[in-house]
Amino acid sequence: MTISRRVFVKSGGLALVSLGLDPLFLARAAFALGRPAVRPSDRPILVCLFQRGAVDGLNMIVPHGEPAYYQERPRIAIPAGDVVDLDGHFGLHPSLAPLRELWDNKSLAAIHAIGSPDATRSHFDAQDYMETGTPGVKSTADGWMNRYCEHDREHEDTPFRAVAFGPQLPRILAGSAPSLAIDDLQAFGLRLPQEAARDRLTRAFEELYDGAGTGLLASSSREGFEAVQMLKRADPTQYRPAAGVDYPAGRLGRTLLQIAQLIKADVGLEIAFADCSGWDTHVNQGSSDGQLAARLRELGVALAAFNRDLGERMRNVVVLTMSEFGRTIRENGNSGTDHGHATAMLALGGPVNGGRVLGRWPGLSVEQRFEGRDVAVTTDFRDLFGEILARHLGATDLGAVFPGYTPSPARFLGAIRG
Amino acid sequence: MPLFLVATVALLTAQAPGPPPSLTPRDSAFHALNRLAYGARPGEADSVARFGVMKWIERQLDADHVPDPRLPERERQFKILGYDRADLAGRYRNAVRERQRMQRDAAATGDSMRAPFDPGVGPMREFRELGGELQQLAIVRAALSERQLREVMVDFWTNHFNVFVGKGADRFLLPSYIEETIRPRSLGRFEDLLIATAESPAMLFYLDNAQSVAPGSAPPPPRRALFGRRFGMNEMPEERRRRPTGINENYARELLELHTLGVDGGYTQQDIIEVARIFTGWSIEPPERGAGFVFRDWAHDRGTKHVFGVTFQDDGKGEGIRLLKLLANQHATMHHVSAKLCARFVADEPPDGCVDAAVAAWQKTRGDIRAVLRAIFTSPDFWSTQAVRSKVKTPLEFVVSAVRAIGVEPDSTPRLAQLVARLGEPLYQQPAPTGYAESEAHWVNSGALLARMNAAIALAQDCASIPAIDDHAQLVDVVDHQLFAGTMSAHTKSVILAQLSDVTDPLQARALAVGLALGGPDFQKQ
Repeated sequence: MTISRRVFVKSGGLALVSLGLDPLFLARAAFALGRPAVRPSDRPILVCLFQRGAVDGLNMIVPHGEPAYYQERPRIAIPAGDVVDLDGHFGLHPSLAPLRELWDNKSLAAIHAIGSPDATRSHFDAQDYMETGTPGVKSTADGWMNRYCEHDREHEDTPFRAVAFGPQLPRILAGSAPSLAIDDLQAFGLRLPQEAARDRLTRAFEELYDGAGTGLLASSSREGFEAVQMLKRADPTQYRPAAGVDYPAGRLGRTLLQIAQLIKADVGLEIAFADCSGWDTHVNQGSSDGQLAARLRELGVALAAFNRDLGERMRNVVVLTMSEFGRTIRENGNSGTDHGHATAMLALGGPVNGGRVLGRWPGLSVEQRFEGRDVAVTTDFRDLFGEILARHLGATDLGAVFPGYTPSPARFLGAIRG
Repeated sequence: MPLFLVATVALLTAQAPGPPPSLTPRDSAFHALNRLAYGARPGEADSVARFGVMKWIERQLDADHVPDPRLPERERQFKILGYDRADLAGRYRNAVRERQRMQRDAAATGDSMRAPFDPGVGPMREFRELGGELQQLAIVRAALSERQLREVMVDFWTNHFNVFVGKGADRFLLPSYIEETIRPRSLGRFEDLLIATAESPAMLFYLDNAQSVAPGSAPPPPRRALFGRRFGMNEMPEERRRRPTGINENYARELLELHTLGVDGGYTQQDIIEVARIFTGWSIEPPERGAGFVFRDWAHDRGTKHVFGVTFQDDGKGEGIRLLKLLANQHATMHHVSAKLCARFVADEPPDGCVDAAVAAWQKTRGDIRAVLRAIFTSPDFWSTQAVRSKVKTPLEFVVSAVRAIGVEPDSTPRLAQLVARLGEPLYQQPAPTGYAESEAHWVNSGALLARMNAAIALAQDCASIPAIDDHAQLVDVVDHQLFAGTMSAHTKSVILAQLSDVTDPLQARALAVGLALGGPDFQKQ
């Protein structure tokens, strides 16, 4: 067991000096070095929603111009009359109609036939690959978002630079750069009615963890206490969404509201990540109505509310949806779909080069499919993630973020305005 | 010394594995209680040390013979144990119908936007409450049972063979899954457990095998109307639901990847399809017939299948049983499951030694779980200084060990279960078939640690078993002895003492000392 002993010089909530033995702890401590300040409201922000369970890209962004789509899905295809047409060939699922205006004002793009070069149809593996950013390599310990934070230190470091909403830190943010998991912003920190008692206990726990425990316990707790201090100044209990904005009830709406809140509080958020589950539609997935329609409706309403709530601030925010793989082209025997290959993603926000369906469409005929059954991948997800990191967040070292792969500008889809 | 004596001495030394001399008997007992049990109750490290730690481990392995007189009385307070699967199925069917009626009404009044966002309110409330009972029951058993190792193994297998309670019919299938499938076999043979989970309605529904039928097959006409309507996801209007017409690979894939061979177990997509064909017809009776296992002959794929070189001729249900027995004792399975057991009991990244010992015991006994565990507990890796106090507790382990340490009797309300949920591990509610993770990296992050500190403060309000002593140094010693069996670090002691310096009320001092101790870094470790 490694015991780290730490000496703190507190200055603005950041530790300046530390001594330790644990490599992860040391790497995290190195982040405490000073950074050039960026005006908080000018900071580019990336918000990622992971649709865990593999969303059916074909019913989310519907290729209504393809006869094969209707032939293969007699029970679950979205009737052409219900599709919210985008470009004559593709259209939105009717539940995503609230996003239509973003398409019209060119701040929403859809990316089709995107996915992993690895053929796995295991949720676990495919999510892991999408989060580590190293398809086919299971031994990668950290996530690509964390590696980005580790290698691009141009930004002012705050505990809120990378935040995952949920009880646990997801794989995508695991690693040596500090990142925060927040289940509920309002309840973040110690919960005691009297402020004096709260502050006292906070200091006591801070001291307990400062001097003891392994590297990960010590560094995680320090990040937590710094965040508590900053949030106290930002006072999230006073937050009200913009006039007329109504987030849907449920976890996704609540999460997006809290992300909007953190963005407006200017606490230095650069990357926000949240899960959004319920997409594994093996049975009775439905068509214009039904299971998938209900999940997409919640997504569409929540994203539209988020966009309206942030208003002008969306000028430097990109929201990206992602999912581990797509689903079979042909519906299965249970009016559902099984695990497939390529899927679709959505990108929205001011910096997005919207109003277009991006990516090369491979077609749905049998010889165009992957292994004869699934939508083929024509865009490696690392090319999209890489483009957003480089052109939106300003990443300079994509090779370090995606080891073993060099996203090349030649393969960028043009999702971000030049 | 005669040669045979040297040999005997060497043999005896080799056959008497256990804690090394560097660990005191009390430290050894505390370590065993942290791993084979949900932590030590007041004084328990000393009593186990007196009894002999290896002897205590043997008793825990022989769970059926450990008297557990008080638990049945507490279990009787949980009404969920009074319902069988058929009762729950009937109640669930009524609740679903009621909800559908409400949804139709909502659609008719144009209020359908809201309906999907609030599943589980209204008619489903009873199942919410029963779900809460089931969670709390797990905590009461973990805290109070004398058969601690069995409770630890129930939690292990519940995660290994994870079923998500929130998926449709699993709301009412999960109780019998835990009570009848997992619990009686948690210290039995792996093969029996594997077969039982494969036949369990909960797993058949969760991983969709209940809906997997041979392409082109059809039920005999009188039953056609029944099949496929009862076990839909119930999200679709009645008229859109159809009976299934093809195979579903979901169970087959997770069976190979998670339950047996492991993700690197050397199987192919074609193997998955063949396995899915073997399990066609393994399904569930409709709720009005008790929702039990049924093998549907008409739905079974009668063709020949090949799974990694082994041929399966048409043999109905027998094919699946044969395959499960084959899988249960593959080398990849033994290694995968043994490594997971070692990650639970020894270290997140277990050394090869204990894994190899577990695999050898598995091979020798054809998967006797007790023999595999005994091999782990007698392995030097289990007792090494790298292993002792090196693992971070999961939220369940944290809460239950705190309750045990401060000597609180958990009540039957879902309070503690909700606490475990707030710390990130709502029991039976992991949607992914992986179950909850075991590793430190998964559970330690800044938000989760703050949540644990809050939980510690709340739990410390109820610590009457610790005397409220005026003398602070003495108080800290008592807390150290009772919560840590004397292993509290000097740093923790000094910080707690300093915090107590201006506290005059002995009750307040006790709550503060216990809260800091439970929420501090030492207690996060086991």
